Amino acid sequence: MQNKIDDIQNHFEKELNLIENSDQLEEFRVKYLGRNGSISELFEEFKSLPKEEKPKYGKTLNVLKNKYQSLFDSKKEEISAKSTVSKSDIDFTLPGRERKLGRTHILTQTMFEIKAFFKNLGFSIHEGPELESDYYNFEALNFPADHPARDMQDTYFVADDFLMRTHTSPVQIRLMKNSKPPIRAIMPGKVYRNEAISAKSYCLFHQVEGLFVDTDVTFAELKGTLVAFAKHFYGKDVKYRFRASYFPFTEPSAEVDVWWQPKGKEGKWLEILGCGMVDPNVLENVGIDSEKYVGYAFGMGVERIALLRYGINDIRLFFDNDNRFLTQF
Amino acid sequence: MNISLNWLKDYIDLDGISLNEILDKLTIIGLEVEEVINQRASFNKIIVGYVKEKGKHPNADKLSVCKVEDGKNVYDVVCGAPNVEKGQKVVFAQIGAIIPNGGFEIRKAKIRGEKSEGMICSESELEISENHDGIMVLDESAQVGQNISEYFGLDDVIIDVAITPNRSDALSHIGIARDLAAVFGKDVKLPKITLIESDESAHNLASIEIENLTDCPRYSGKVVTGVEIKDSPKWMQQRLKNIGLRPINNIVDVTNYVLHEFGQPLHGFDLDTLAEKKIIVKSATKGEKFVTLDSKERELDEDDLMICDGEKSVAIAGVMGGENSEVNPNTKNVLIESAYFRPSAVRKTSKKLGLSTDASYRFERGTDPNITFIAAERAAQLIAETSGGKVAKGVIDVYPQIIPARKVLLRFSRISKILGYEIPKEEVKAIFSDLGMEVNSVSNEEISITVPTSRHDIEREIDLIEEVARIYGYDKIPNVEKVSITLDDKIDQSAFNDNLRQILTGLGFNEIITNSLLSDQIANKFGNGVGILNPQSSEMSFLRTSLIPGALNTLSKNINVKEKDLCLFEMGKVFNKSNEDNIKSFDDFVENEHLIMISTGQIEQNEWYSESRKSDIYDLKGNITSLLKSLKMETKVQIKNTQEENVFFDQYFELRFRKKSLVGTAGKLKKEFCNLLDVKQEVYCAIFDLEELKKIGANEVSFNELLRYPKVERDFAFILDKHIRNEDIIKTAYSQSSNLLKNIKLFDIFESDSLGESKKSLAFELEYYDESRTLEESEVDDDFWKLIEAIKTKFNAELRGK
Repeated sequence: MQNKIDDIQNHFEKELNLIENSDQLEEFRVKYLGRNGSISELFEEFKSLPKEEKPKYGKTLNVLKNKYQSLFDSKKEEISAKSTVSKSDIDFTLPGRERKLGRTHILTQTMFEIKAFFKNLGFSIHEGPELESDYYNFEALNFPADHPARDMQDTYFVADDFLMRTHTSPVQIRLMKNSKPPIRAIMPGKVYRNEAISAKSYCLFHQVEGLFVDTDVTFAELKGTLVAFAKHFYGKDVKYRFRASYFPFTEPSAEVDVWWQPKGKEGKWLEILGCGMVDPNVLENVGIDSEKYVGYAFGMGVERIALLRYGINDIRLFFDNDNRFLTQF
Repeated sequence: MNISLNWLKDYIDLDGISLNEILDKLTIIGLEVEEVINQRASFNKIIVGYVKEKGKHPNADKLSVCKVEDGKNVYDVVCGAPNVEKGQKVVFAQIGAIIPNGGFEIRKAKIRGEKSEGMICSESELEISENHDGIMVLDESAQVGQNISEYFGLDDVIIDVAITPNRSDALSHIGIARDLAAVFGKDVKLPKITLIESDESAHNLASIEIENLTDCPRYSGKVVTGVEIKDSPKWMQQRLKNIGLRPINNIVDVTNYVLHEFGQPLHGFDLDTLAEKKIIVKSATKGEKFVTLDSKERELDEDDLMICDGEKSVAIAGVMGGENSEVNPNTKNVLIESAYFRPSAVRKTSKKLGLSTDASYRFERGTDPNITFIAAERAAQLIAETSGGKVAKGVIDVYPQIIPARKVLLRFSRISKILGYEIPKEEVKAIFSDLGMEVNSVSNEEISITVPTSRHDIEREIDLIEEVARIYGYDKIPNVEKVSITLDDKIDQSAFNDNLRQILTGLGFNEIITNSLLSDQIANKFGNGVGILNPQSSEMSFLRTSLIPGALNTLSKNINVKEKDLCLFEMGKVFNKSNEDNIKSFDDFVENEHLIMISTGQIEQNEWYSESRKSDIYDLKGNITSLLKSLKMETKVQIKNTQEENVFFDQYFELRFRKKSLVGTAGKLKKEFCNLLDVKQEVYCAIFDLEELKKIGANEVSFNELLRYPKVERDFAFILDKHIRNEDIIKTAYSQSSNLLKNIKLFDIFESDSLGESKKSLAFELEYYDESRTLEESEVDDDFWKLIEAIKTKFNAELRGK
């Protein structure tokens, strides 16, 4: 045993120093460090040693092995560094070893961007249930029962007084009931409309609504905020207009259009969001003094923004989740 | 609602204002223009032509070659219609014309070898009627060369305006004219009503009585006698046709005409069919059956308001008249109904019957109670003019409780408070006058307005502010350039999910968003579903009870298009009933937010550096572990496979927070469920309850001193029985070692015949260190060999040679 150890000690380093290329290195590795190399042999022999000798050699062998392994490793690095310098055997046209990464849905990406914009302006983000009561979805929002305004939003009912929310506005009601002004938040989420599915409409879509209630909120501030948003999303030179509209929960109400000019096609106004000053009835419904406090609210469809930006022609594509669609964004 | 520009011009002078300006203004003030049809433009290059000659086509029996004159030149036109003849005046579409039906352009062509320079059109090609039996032959009076739109009187512009539910006052030509007048600073010209009344008083010919004054506060009736039922005059027919109505006869057409003129729905009764020549407005009797004008039998109850005569019901108030009293070709005497019904009463009945008419649409939004009289007179005038009848003297007008115009106060300070901009008082005042509202008084602080009864939407100060802003122009209110930020604590309730999204994409999963509506069968297979009362289809009649079916469906559709290797995730709400009762409160159902991770097919593709490999349970487990580590929850959540059977999974394992609350379940999805959605590949899937996951919270992080002493590494491999598990070895390793052993990791599993059947080799790496000193090799060796012996004995293992 000791002889063999000495033998290896005498030759290992000398031989290693002579090595010049990777072939020689491999030959050397097999001889000393391979499965049947001389160091492995030592360990084999070690097994059959008498018990009392084991502790003595055990330690020596491990030290030996670790030392030579590290000497070998440095040599290997040296050799390989040499060969990379020559570059001859590297084919840079081979694809690299990629890590597979997934993607968030394009609607999520769009939502991220919308959220980031409003977060920067000091908005919180609140969420709420999708299966809502009539009270939160309609009544508290100034849609009286038996009023034609209810026809504006085709509704899925699950019971007389329970329904799939048709907008994220019920989150506004929940928020206002549970907190005190100033309230500045956006409410992203899924909403449902009982409409036939086609290229232009789906039974659900995603909305982001915003609400700001304080003592000195104005329509001019609402306009300024939304114009900043339109510029962020559609370019600083975007052409826009605010036109009068009607929502039961805001007054005055407006819709915002941007001028859409696809290349080589006729331009047109496209609606991107609805907004207005929170109707005093809504504030009173949640116990906020409408004489002292004023609020603005707005809402936009995420699908619509994504459709426009990416020139997607069919809303169903968002929910078909074809991998060839998902991986485009 | 369709508005005819020509008709509109009867009530407002729009000379010098371009069409585009009119359309833009309408939209800007809240009367959104949805579509515009310029009739003249749609008949461009389609003119009256004269067939000078007709000859046989040399190469086709059914075709003829005509010479058609346009007043200047003569063209060769190949025509396939059998009825074309020499000497006819025809509709001639010239080169460059676009045919309305089909939208194709007429070009110079050769038809079976013969030159053709235009087309002779049929009625259906012009979309004038469905008739396509041959070409349309025009009257002798047609002027050759004249554009066909002039010949037909189709020189109008039809504007489709979307009227929001609050603006019932704008549901007529005069209503639209009123808003435009305010914007353009013009006057509204109401039609002059010149009535020549007979000596006979209407009160002697009919009587009116209202039993239910709540639902019908006013009923006005006007009688015209000795009418002759015939077609209404061409001009009236044309206007009605232009806005999309079908002319019927002079009486019905007049009532429709006045409806679209003033916005007041009218109904004409054949007076002689009314028993006792009497109108009684009262509630229906329960279960009453009534046949409406559309020949359908309707069932009514006490909530429905009816128009009755001395014996029977003759109309459903505000919704539709009855067959039994309808004006017919033999009608001689007509009673015109012009009433005001309570909006919600009409809406209830119309909703219940599923019957919406031009009349009910207006009544339920609110008509002007104070216009019934004028509308009745206007109708009488037009009926007399078109039917030769005589207008009986007076209006039978039952209106015991006059509905007065509202007075509303507006503080100027409130305008600037809401709008953030001060509009000069004089302008505010002018806007109200231009809108036809009476200004009662103006002080420095406030203005008092009398709101016409046509404006149901104006009751409060804020309603007046909206009017000011709307007419003044939103664009003139400057945008604020600076906003203040409040310093209250900001919350982002979506942050946790958004973080998860980033982690999952980092793990190679693509996000999907699927439909939350499923079929009854699927929803209830995966949970206790909540049904939709009014679904679009049975395929979408339940809320999803689980994210599995949507994800499986996505796999199935993708596999069909050869996208077979998929790692997907979705976050979304699932809904389950908490009991078998109907939903009456939020306690009757549970809405949970879930996360699903699902994978199928190859997780590694064939590459020049690696071989393809199918996704398996270890990928799933590994991804979940990575996820938990990213969330800093790995020590709080335990992954355990239990021996219990699971409904959805084979190779089932579950995730529990502190061994208690169930956070997630995972495994290989059972074939039964895959088959249900037509997925043939193996599917691995995990479901998390996001609310439970959120509750756990990340580990609190505190800094650990970096290790200052070297680690000592050892490794070993054992051959042992196949049934021995990784964890058994690891547990033994820790229990049989001193606390110097800090890590042990399996790095190789090897199975081969050479090891013997039911044997495998497991290789482990061990890491020893002490935070306070450098270890002696010998003390590690002592530990290490002791451990090896222990494993040998405990598992009957054989140490593999090195």
